[in-house]
Amino acid sequence: MKPFSFLLALLALGTAAHAQVPATPKFPLRPNPAPLAPQARPQQGVLQTSSLLKVNVTYQAHNMRIPWQKESAGGRRGLGVVLEGNRILVTGQMVADATYIELELPESGQKIPARVVAVDYEANLALLAPNSPAREAAFFAGLSPMEVDTSTRIGDTLVVWQTGRVGELIVTPMRVSKVMNQGYVVENASFIVYEAQGIIRSEANSFTLPVAKGNKLAALLLRYDSKNQLATLLPAPIIEHFLKDVADGKYDGFPSLGIEFQITLDDQFREYLGMKPDQAGVYISSVTKGASAEKAGVKKGDILQSINGHSIDSRGDYQDPQFGALSISHTVRGQAFVGDEVEMKVLREGKELTLKGKLARKQPTDYLVLPYLFDHGPKYVLNGGLLFQELTRPYLNSFGSEQQGGPILRLARIANSPEESEKKGKKKIVFLSAVLPTTSTQGYERVSGQVVSEVNGTKITRIEDLAEAFKKPQDGLHVVKLEQFPFILYLDATKVERDNLQLMNGAFRIGSLSRLD
Amino acid sequence: MFCGNRPFLMKMRPLFPAFAALAFAATSPAQEKAPAAAAPVESPIVETPAPSTPLIDEWEGIVNIDASVLVPDYREPWNSGAPSGGSGTGFLIGKNRFLTNAHVISNATKLVIRTTNDPEPHPARVVFVAHDCDLAILEAEDGKPFEKLKPLTFGGIPKLNTEVIAVGYPIGGDRISVTRGVVSRIDFRPFSHTQVDSHLAIQVDAAINPGNSGGPVLQSGQVVGVAFQGFSGRVAQNVGYIIPVPVIKRFLKDVEDGHYDHYVDLAASDFAIENSAQRKALHLNGDGVGVMIAEVEPAGSVGGILQRGDVLLSMDGNPVLNNGLIRFEGELMDMNEVVERKFAGDKLNLTYLRNGEKKETEVTLKRFDPYVKLGEQYNQRPRYVVYAGLVFQPMDKNLMDAHQISDPAANYLFDNYLTEKLYVERPEPVLLTSILADEVNTYITPYANSVVDEINGVKIRSLKDVKTALAKKGEKADFVVIKLLEKGRPLVLKRDLAEAAHPKIMQTYNVPEDSYLGENEKD
Repeated sequence: MKPFSFLLALLALGTAAHAQVPATPKFPLRPNPAPLAPQARPQQGVLQTSSLLKVNVTYQAHNMRIPWQKESAGGRRGLGVVLEGNRILVTGQMVADATYIELELPESGQKIPARVVAVDYEANLALLAPNSPAREAAFFAGLSPMEVDTSTRIGDTLVVWQTGRVGELIVTPMRVSKVMNQGYVVENASFIVYEAQGIIRSEANSFTLPVAKGNKLAALLLRYDSKNQLATLLPAPIIEHFLKDVADGKYDGFPSLGIEFQITLDDQFREYLGMKPDQAGVYISSVTKGASAEKAGVKKGDILQSINGHSIDSRGDYQDPQFGALSISHTVRGQAFVGDEVEMKVLREGKELTLKGKLARKQPTDYLVLPYLFDHGPKYVLNGGLLFQELTRPYLNSFGSEQQGGPILRLARIANSPEESEKKGKKKIVFLSAVLPTTSTQGYERVSGQVVSEVNGTKITRIEDLAEAFKKPQDGLHVVKLEQFPFILYLDATKVERDNLQLMNGAFRIGSLSRLD
Repeated sequence: MFCGNRPFLMKMRPLFPAFAALAFAATSPAQEKAPAAAAPVESPIVETPAPSTPLIDEWEGIVNIDASVLVPDYREPWNSGAPSGGSGTGFLIGKNRFLTNAHVISNATKLVIRTTNDPEPHPARVVFVAHDCDLAILEAEDGKPFEKLKPLTFGGIPKLNTEVIAVGYPIGGDRISVTRGVVSRIDFRPFSHTQVDSHLAIQVDAAINPGNSGGPVLQSGQVVGVAFQGFSGRVAQNVGYIIPVPVIKRFLKDVEDGHYDHYVDLAASDFAIENSAQRKALHLNGDGVGVMIAEVEPAGSVGGILQRGDVLLSMDGNPVLNNGLIRFEGELMDMNEVVERKFAGDKLNLTYLRNGEKKETEVTLKRFDPYVKLGEQYNQRPRYVVYAGLVFQPMDKNLMDAHQISDPAANYLFDNYLTEKLYVERPEPVLLTSILADEVNTYITPYANSVVDEINGVKIRSLKDVKTALAKKGEKADFVVIKLLEKGRPLVLKRDLAEAAHPKIMQTYNVPEDSYLGENEKD
């Protein structure tokens, strides 16, 4: 099984786009030996801050391929930003698959357990609260909350905060050079980021690093590319959106339109689409079924000209008063909330139309293939030794570069073009992920990776269907129909029952034959 | 045979590509050794007909074949390709008929035969070639000099652990060479020349090196095989493969009518019956006979006859066992061996169970074409269509390798061409492989290596369709509209601009003809 380290994941994700993968963790758990010429030391010497906390997280991820097992536990150490009401802001990655979270005062080393109030893995943000009512007041007595500042502009200098071994503040100034839309950490999640240039040194608690403008929070460090000394920052507008959403007690998440568009710089293409030379807008190349845009009446092939009064140019940008040209998706993703009204102007067959609708969010569970999965184990059904799972991105990603051929390539393609399967009525992709050696599975040892179409005469659209269907064997046989070779498997229902009993707490250490919640 | 569900071991590599052999032929003088064949040979298994005839004369019919080759250029399909060359071995099997490997003479533009004692080079030409079993027959342009030579004769399948010798012109010298070993194994093997065909092959531990290709492997003075492949690198030691006599004889019989028809195929995949539930569901009585038919190719010999879930019981009266093996000529072999020995148009009697009912049928065997695209192809001029700088080429292995295509739709199509029956919808998928940049197409250059779905409303099922569809006027007559698979937008060219730019682009990029659709197709 592939070892999985979140500490590395932060870096790997950051550097993937720059084709550079560090071989060693850049954030060692022990402080670096002091350099001979300590050039990175800020001139103001040792500072202390009352708005930063150390956050220690123990996490344990589920094994994607052996779904009844968990991987070995690991630790993450980072910084949290103290906010109003004794709340602590950290990145979502920090608390993914957390089993125990504690807050630590940098100077005194005093600790208190904490819990997650809200987490959004798409926006990579989490809000923590102390989990010890008796000690809370004393613990927070010397701390002062930080405010969020969304006024950053291109050219501003921000300061990355880190703490040293005994809590002294280390600050690194960085100049914001770009604001743009970029993918965050999990699949299908992109928001605006600030890009800034500067050198960040490795420290012991480098997971979540706050970035300040004056004494206010301007961003969190999303990733750092040490080769190019390029920091990507998760900016205040997204943080503010997250906090506002949390504040009403019900977290809705960031809305999306559910469209894909193509640029229209190509003159011949524009003429073909019936666009006038001075007409701006982008070509809608796909509209997600059931999403906000479809409900508002947007169709594939429309030219999207404006959203909520923001005109869209041929590249898909609008003019943001603060940041200049910025992807139009920010006006929906970053500026609007679930339930807000949206108004779009489109060009269809030469005519301008105004379409109105309400913004909604596509929940992770709405996807045919779950884009990410933290804190919960993957769903599975084990019957007689045949292991069935619902296809998820994390499952595919667990193969890494092995994903080049054979069944994994086929499953990856299903994940990349879900429309075909959705048309067939599938809610999820249920597939045979492994065959455990039992008497029931004799002869099937080499079979795996096939999509399940039918079990005992019941069409399988999600794994719950499969669990139900296995309750109804026919003439003492289970009949499993697959979409690929060998297309059909038979199991002896009596032997399956016997094997199931033996599998439980047998050599494979299986505690439960299924996980459906 | 059909290899759909029998993946090859990755260690299989073509050991004796002709160009590699040539590289070795140019050895430094320091490596020159006394020609092995000149040494006194005392072999108990090679009969010398008369003591007065030296062995070397006996082997005068084993010849060196020198090939000048043009390797087709699938990136610039209008170019001639790169000149190259190589050498291998062949041997006389009849009047002016030399047997060798197909890979020795593939893509050859000029062939020369030399014997070990005659300094004269003799120009030769290919009479028959069978890429699917890596065999070919050559003839000298002037057969006279070879009239006095004695053709070699064929033996049978040698027994395990009996001695054989390999004779030929491998690296290490110019004159004829002999190596000796035993028969190690007799098994079905993938043939690396096409990479998609598998046939019976014999493994020997006699040293077989680049240049041995096409040479005879002898036992008791008779040919028991043709040396053809081994492992490159250090993955295995003393492993060489030879094409056995049944495969050779099949080839010789196939060409008796003047042309080669290729192997025929059941084009069905079997799945072993080992599970008791399977046995019960398929109504078997447990006598060990019958294999499940898991997949039937509609375009194959049993398409429309056998079905998924049928149990194949026998072929020509020979029972097929639960694991897909059949007893054939006294040995247990893959059931496909029965089909292997037959020819296009031959009949095959099958008995099978369908829903517990025993049925009998006779099928007429034929070649299964779609999988040829998945294998390496030779002696083909690359086909293409160029329009306003857009280069269209049909998808096959040669193309995929040459362009190192990474487009997910193209790779999926190639990988699942058979398994997902994509060949039914697109018998010959067409890729937009490159864009010869010009003002007219500058915005579509990022779309290179995409699969072409439709042009001007016409579904593209083969390269020929591209040519006709480009000429057709679609919904918007002023535009040429190209739809790609899994790309968000259609590619659009204004017809007048495209047609004006076309000749200029052809000239700039040195493309002499704007299409080549194949020998039998008029451009």
